[in-house]
Amino acid sequence: MNQTVVSYLSQYEFYDVLLAAFGKNEGLLAFAIYLLGGVIIVGLCATIGGLGTFAERKISADIQQRLGPNRVGPYGILQFLADGVKMMTKEDVMPFTADKMLFYLAPMLALVGVFATLAVLPFSSGLMMADLNVGIFYLIAISSLVGVSVFLGGYASNSKWSMLGGMRGASQIISYEIPVTISILAVTLLAGGMSFGTIMSHQRGLPTNWFIFHNPFAFIAGFVYFIGALAETNRAPFDLPEAESELVSGYHTEYTGMRFGFFALAEYIEVFVVCGVGAALFLGGSNLPFDISFDIIPLQLLEVVIFMSKALALYYVVIWIRWTFPRLRVDQLMAICWKYLTPIAIFNLIGCAVWVVVFNGKSIAELIFGH
Amino acid sequence: MFAQFLFISSALLTLGGAVAVLVTKNIMHSCIYLLASLIGIAGLYATLGADFVAVTQIMVYVGGVVILMLFAVMLTGGKDFVSRAQNLLGLAPSMGNRWTFSVGILVALVFLATNIKLILNVSKSIPAKTFGNEFPSTVNQIGHLLVKEHVLAFELSSVLLLGALVGAAIIARPRKQ
Amino acid sequence: MTPANFDGLMPVVIFMGLAVALFVGGHFASVLLAPKKPSHLKSTPYECGEQPVGSAWSMFNVRFYVVGLIFIIFDVESVLMFPVAAIFRELNDMGHGGYALIVFLSFISILIEGIAYCWKKGDLDWVKSFQVSTKNNK
Repeated sequence: MNQTVVSYLSQYEFYDVLLAAFGKNEGLLAFAIYLLGGVIIVGLCATIGGLGTFAERKISADIQQRLGPNRVGPYGILQFLADGVKMMTKEDVMPFTADKMLFYLAPMLALVGVFATLAVLPFSSGLMMADLNVGIFYLIAISSLVGVSVFLGGYASNSKWSMLGGMRGASQIISYEIPVTISILAVTLLAGGMSFGTIMSHQRGLPTNWFIFHNPFAFIAGFVYFIGALAETNRAPFDLPEAESELVSGYHTEYTGMRFGFFALAEYIEVFVVCGVGAALFLGGSNLPFDISFDIIPLQLLEVVIFMSKALALYYVVIWIRWTFPRLRVDQLMAICWKYLTPIAIFNLIGCAVWVVVFNGKSIAELIFGH
Repeated sequence: MFAQFLFISSALLTLGGAVAVLVTKNIMHSCIYLLASLIGIAGLYATLGADFVAVTQIMVYVGGVVILMLFAVMLTGGKDFVSRAQNLLGLAPSMGNRWTFSVGILVALVFLATNIKLILNVSKSIPAKTFGNEFPSTVNQIGHLLVKEHVLAFELSSVLLLGALVGAAIIARPRKQ
Repeated sequence: MTPANFDGLMPVVIFMGLAVALFVGGHFASVLLAPKKPSHLKSTPYECGEQPVGSAWSMFNVRFYVVGLIFIIFDVESVLMFPVAAIFRELNDMGHGGYALIVFLSFISILIEGIAYCWKKGDLDWVKSFQVSTKNNK
């Protein structure tokens, strides 16, 4: 059985009331709950993605000692709404040489690949939509649709900039999937399971129980994951697929209006998803820093706040890195992936396996303080 | 209700994708139809309760094989290969003469007969039973099988993959004539 | 009868459906709101103002294909390692930790051999692969 938001809510009394209201039809009620939760989460993540573009500009302005957007709303915070309206009312131009079907399909694939990962993102221990047994594995697999969409976006435009960006993007995304997957494998090994529920239940309590502080190898694995995730989401310093100064805008050069908006939305939500996964795998996820024996809905909402704050802190680091480091060359990019990150990730995996056997799976804090 | 919906939509996606791969004349489009077909197969695995296999299908085929195919097409330039001559009632692009087509149809018939025989046997001999009583999930079951009963196959698969890696590296290495 | 681990699939399908719905809805809104004044010049592929010469669908370097091939091998290896990693701790608690470690390490060591081979032969180099391989193929 997979733990889901429905099976979590069914332990409360109001679930029975709802069930009676739906005429004892459990499937229909589950569908309604999932649909409602899905709309809420998609709305939340779209807002976060939109605010991400705003934060990007505001933080870059801070770093470069400028003001940044400050006209629309207080501190310019409504800028992303203005941008969204602008995109919707822009003319949709498609190059006459383009492959029309793939040109339409590419942004949709990006959206599907990113939104499907939201289904397993662990917002809290009870309120995550579905805690699949193969949770993290599913997340890695389905997000590889984004790689296909990047390639298709580049190919379908039939513009030279786009084609180069698409090829680069696809090869970069699949290359960096290897160190990321192996780092996640190390966490799977430490937690003894692939579901986010299992992974987070092993990190309950104080930060010393977080997997990043579990042992030295896991500490390095956390950084390997983060670097690889930056490259997988095409963020600077790995933003070669859309390098402005050499490829104009890479794979979405020819995209205008709403379709460009979908690409941008998918990209910013993916950054949030990646940060959320990093927070769940290495930084304790949504666990409260203290043990509580009872479980009520407000406590779950507190867990959501904790998860969001960890994920958004990582989001800030991602933006900070973007405006700090210069872009890599393509050969450096591939060398970092295959010659540094992958061997380090394999070393970490071996180290974690040996650690589990030698110290019986105890973390450093447990070994030192002995509890 | 949801199970029927998932099964029917996955089956339609699989079959529709497969037919579209055959019918379309644009090689890039056929790669994408193949992607749809492979996702449909993952959905079919999921309806059977084999969640790990379904995700593996997506991970290896959608994330790996399809992208590799797209790269392979780009080796040739990826233009529309609208074939000049059409064979077989004008349906298929000219990938061969009547001999290759007849051999292909023969192979397909033999394969179909073998599959039907296998499937009929399976549906007769194995009664419907629920798995996963002793294991919390299919992942644990597969893990235990890989480490205990099939440990030799597990290790040998690694050797096989090593061979594939070395072979791939040698074949793809550019040579100066 | 539905299988035991079936109930988590509905949100997955719903989220995919929401993505498609958002795409179609956004598209529809854009069609309603956006101006539509097509011209030939507007729909030429962007090439910094120059007239584009030829199609962008040209032959690409084989190195992308090599990366794809190596990726698939590692992908399959990690897929095989996932179930074993998931039960590694359980095996250790059952007292088979040493055995599991040997199984796991021998699997990984073969993986390491592969990456070491590719590294040594220069298949992991992005730029120099041609020069290195001509030297080796003499």
